[in-house]
Amino acid sequence: MPKFLVLYKWTLDEQDIKIKSDDLSLDASRAKGKISDFDRNAIEEAARIVEAKGGSVDVLTYGSAAVKQSLKDVLSRGADKAYWIADASAETADAVVTAKVLAAAIRKIGPYDVILTGEGSSDQFNQQTAPRVAALLGLPCLSLVHKLDVEAGTVSVTRKLAVCTEQATVSGPVVVSVLSDINKPRIPGLKQVLGAAKKPNEEIALGSLGVSPADLQPKAVRRSAKGFVMTRKNVVFKDANPADSVAKLVSSLVSEGLF
Amino acid sequence: MTGIFLFSEDPVLAKQLLTPALALKGALDQPITALALDGATAADLAALGADTVLLLQSASGWVEGLGDAVTDLVRAATVVLVGGTQRGKHLAAHVAAKLDAGLTTDAKSLAIEDGKLVTSRILYAGLAVGVEELAFPAVATIPPRSYPTPEAAQTPGSVETVAVTDDIRVTVTGTTPTESSGVDISLANKLVSVGRGFRSKDDLPLAEGLAAKLKGEVSCTRGIAEDEHWLPIERYIGISGQTVKPDLYLAVGLSGQVQHMVGARESKIIVAINSDERAPIFEAADYGIVGDLYAVLPLLTAAITS
Amino acid sequence: MNFELTDEQRLIGQSARAFAKEYLDPIAADLDHSGTYPKAIIEQLAGYDFLGLLLPEEVGGAAAGAVSYIEVIEALSRSCPAVATILTNHTLGALAVVDWGSDKQKKDYAPALAKGERLATLAIYEKGPAPGVGPDALLAARQGEHYVLNGTKAFVRNAGVADLYVVFATVEPAPDKRALSVFLVDARTPGLTIGPRLETMGLKACPVAHVIFSNVSVPAAALVGGENGGTAIATTLLAKAAVFEAAQTVGIGKAAVKHAADYAKQRVQFGRPIASLQAIQTLLADVATDAHLAWLGVQRTAQLIEDGQPFETDAAMVKAFLARVGSKMLIDTVQVEGGFGYSEFMPLPRLFRDIAGTTLLDAPADFPDEIIAEAIA
Repeated sequence: MPKFLVLYKWTLDEQDIKIKSDDLSLDASRAKGKISDFDRNAIEEAARIVEAKGGSVDVLTYGSAAVKQSLKDVLSRGADKAYWIADASAETADAVVTAKVLAAAIRKIGPYDVILTGEGSSDQFNQQTAPRVAALLGLPCLSLVHKLDVEAGTVSVTRKLAVCTEQATVSGPVVVSVLSDINKPRIPGLKQVLGAAKKPNEEIALGSLGVSPADLQPKAVRRSAKGFVMTRKNVVFKDANPADSVAKLVSSLVSEGLF
Repeated sequence: MTGIFLFSEDPVLAKQLLTPALALKGALDQPITALALDGATAADLAALGADTVLLLQSASGWVEGLGDAVTDLVRAATVVLVGGTQRGKHLAAHVAAKLDAGLTTDAKSLAIEDGKLVTSRILYAGLAVGVEELAFPAVATIPPRSYPTPEAAQTPGSVETVAVTDDIRVTVTGTTPTESSGVDISLANKLVSVGRGFRSKDDLPLAEGLAAKLKGEVSCTRGIAEDEHWLPIERYIGISGQTVKPDLYLAVGLSGQVQHMVGARESKIIVAINSDERAPIFEAADYGIVGDLYAVLPLLTAAITS
Repeated sequence: MNFELTDEQRLIGQSARAFAKEYLDPIAADLDHSGTYPKAIIEQLAGYDFLGLLLPEEVGGAAAGAVSYIEVIEALSRSCPAVATILTNHTLGALAVVDWGSDKQKKDYAPALAKGERLATLAIYEKGPAPGVGPDALLAARQGEHYVLNGTKAFVRNAGVADLYVVFATVEPAPDKRALSVFLVDARTPGLTIGPRLETMGLKACPVAHVIFSNVSVPAAALVGGENGGTAIATTLLAKAAVFEAAQTVGIGKAAVKHAADYAKQRVQFGRPIASLQAIQTLLADVATDAHLAWLGVQRTAQLIEDGQPFETDAAMVKAFLARVGSKMLIDTVQVEGGFGYSEFMPLPRLFRDIAGTTLLDAPADFPDEIIAEAIA
């Protein structure tokens, strides 16, 4: 009966982010919050295993005050209890800070048999949280997991890398990051949504974790984020006779030095 | 803190890492130490500019399990560069955690400014580029083919053998290489890329003929590979596929959506051929022909032959 | 005054949008072409408990309230309004049972309706100008402990797939020309036949047919709300229907605006996207404004329903407003898209036909205005 903890991030929906045409800065003012896509896969995987074999699924998140909006959402997806840390430090936190805070929280609320998270967050896609948290906790880490089995204290996975697939096992506690194709996250039905209010959630005060102000300072500081704009020549040939367009194109490519 | 450290389990990528490492050496005036897993790569790295090469004796060779071992070896580092394979990114994050260091994933550029490593990377699936500053020690993972291999160094560096302990808690019970069609489109100088404007798999020879005349390769969009299975997945370009930087990228019958173009937008010259003049590809192209690819491709192939 | 949705309402809308995107978007065009009743989709909706959303918990419903309900209807309508029509007609039939039915009627019918195991629908309209008037009027004659129904109910939605028809009949002799009586009639009752399926202008996947009653005998216990109690029931249900259809209309309008805006951003003419042209911006802005303001009205009316407050005037106003601007929303967005907008391989033509169905039906044109006039006089 494994005890799962799923780490999730409440992110802005990157599809709502716009590029301002004057200075190319990013406008996220209309972006709605969502549970990071790959973390949904992680919650789904834990929920499925527990629904089939027993056990429990807790979830943990560290973010700004906005994370409160995520609680019923995450509890409607198969989690039993939600832990949350809401602090302004999250707005500047980099992967160093995030991992330290999460590790400290896990030391407080754990131990867990399997700590799960998505391969990367849907906004930053740093792909660092799982190995960092594992390293800080002194646990092994299995990343890029496409198939997960938990049986009597042994975790067996199939990892899917670009160059190969790999089977691996760990006996004992482990951190696992899952790929988006490991499962299809459920759409919560009405009863799950309404039932979420009856499930427990617990705020963890950042101050109770023994994390110093220095620990909350990021080591990677964002200097700027600018929309990527293609500046290409945009020369288009639209002759009625395609042979004319082709001739003009070839002549342009020759003058570009391509032949 | 002193020293620029680099590692990749991919020998080609490891050598490519020397190029930015040498630039950092120039800026920081600190030696380069490379880590390698096999003797041949170690010798190459020594010859190409590493001052010291540490040849790791790992029993399992499982890269992800070398986090603690590598951390011990790079403790003195100012900057650590790790090849951005999937295994490399996992290892880099572990090492960064143990060093209490910032890590830029898939850094597109590196520079030293005011005692910090300044990096840039792609954000939001290609929508934006972010610049960040990392205090030392700083870690960055570098994607394959970001840099060329440097020329041989004047004086080769030295190679030392080091015993390392693997993470024995993880048992790797099997590894199956992914079936490859043997073509690496990222090496092609010219690419003819096909999209859904092609009506059938039988029409692909139109593109293949042109690619052959250009001495290039055929690539495609995700749909052509993953949905239609007209071409193997190694030929598809996009956010979840390959990234390429050819001299010429010919986008034929493809609309040019962001998720595809993010894999090709660093091509030197982009040409679009599409019958729909409102397709986004024309915004992303240097030159374009609005026309029927079935008419244009044969004409273009003939024009190039002559 | 709080305009924010509760977490539950927001998450219910989120699930409905995810459902629509995953299951309805891929098939909406086909459903419009074929007009096939989407049985599997309805079963899936039942699996998510949407069929019992408004029904009380004691019969197995979710009792999630009207504000959540319209979130679902609006979301489904962005992809396939016909599916929303099937659902709303089922809901209205089920509401007749749970809001006016006897304990026995609720016990007998409501749980299966809440689970979606059985589908309900309303049979109100007739070929004549009003129920009870005309040669095919649905008349009920009392015979001891039974009523015998004869006549035709016209343009019945979900006809042929419904298990339960909530039939508005005229019991003879009628005390006045508007007196109606509501009967719960099982689809399998002998003498009840479904006419041929009628091809409609839009909302094609929702089956529509006349339902013919030929000496259909029902027990007196099938009456809901007593003899001649049906007029009040009809008024309330039609007012709720107006609100639900308004939610559909807004969903269709929002889908049309989004499609047209995306098109305008990509379509380049005279060297720039047509989205930068003032004429286009005005068209899109007007449609978006109409949809936005209408939605505020629909939400407010739904809140009144949840609070048990009088809502019929608001419902009539929302309906009247959308009757005026609904089709215009599609006329304008088709205009933005030009030739593409007029082509059947794009979604706007079928949305055009669907919005005609959600704005122009279910009440004679002056019906809402009568209610409004009464309210403000």
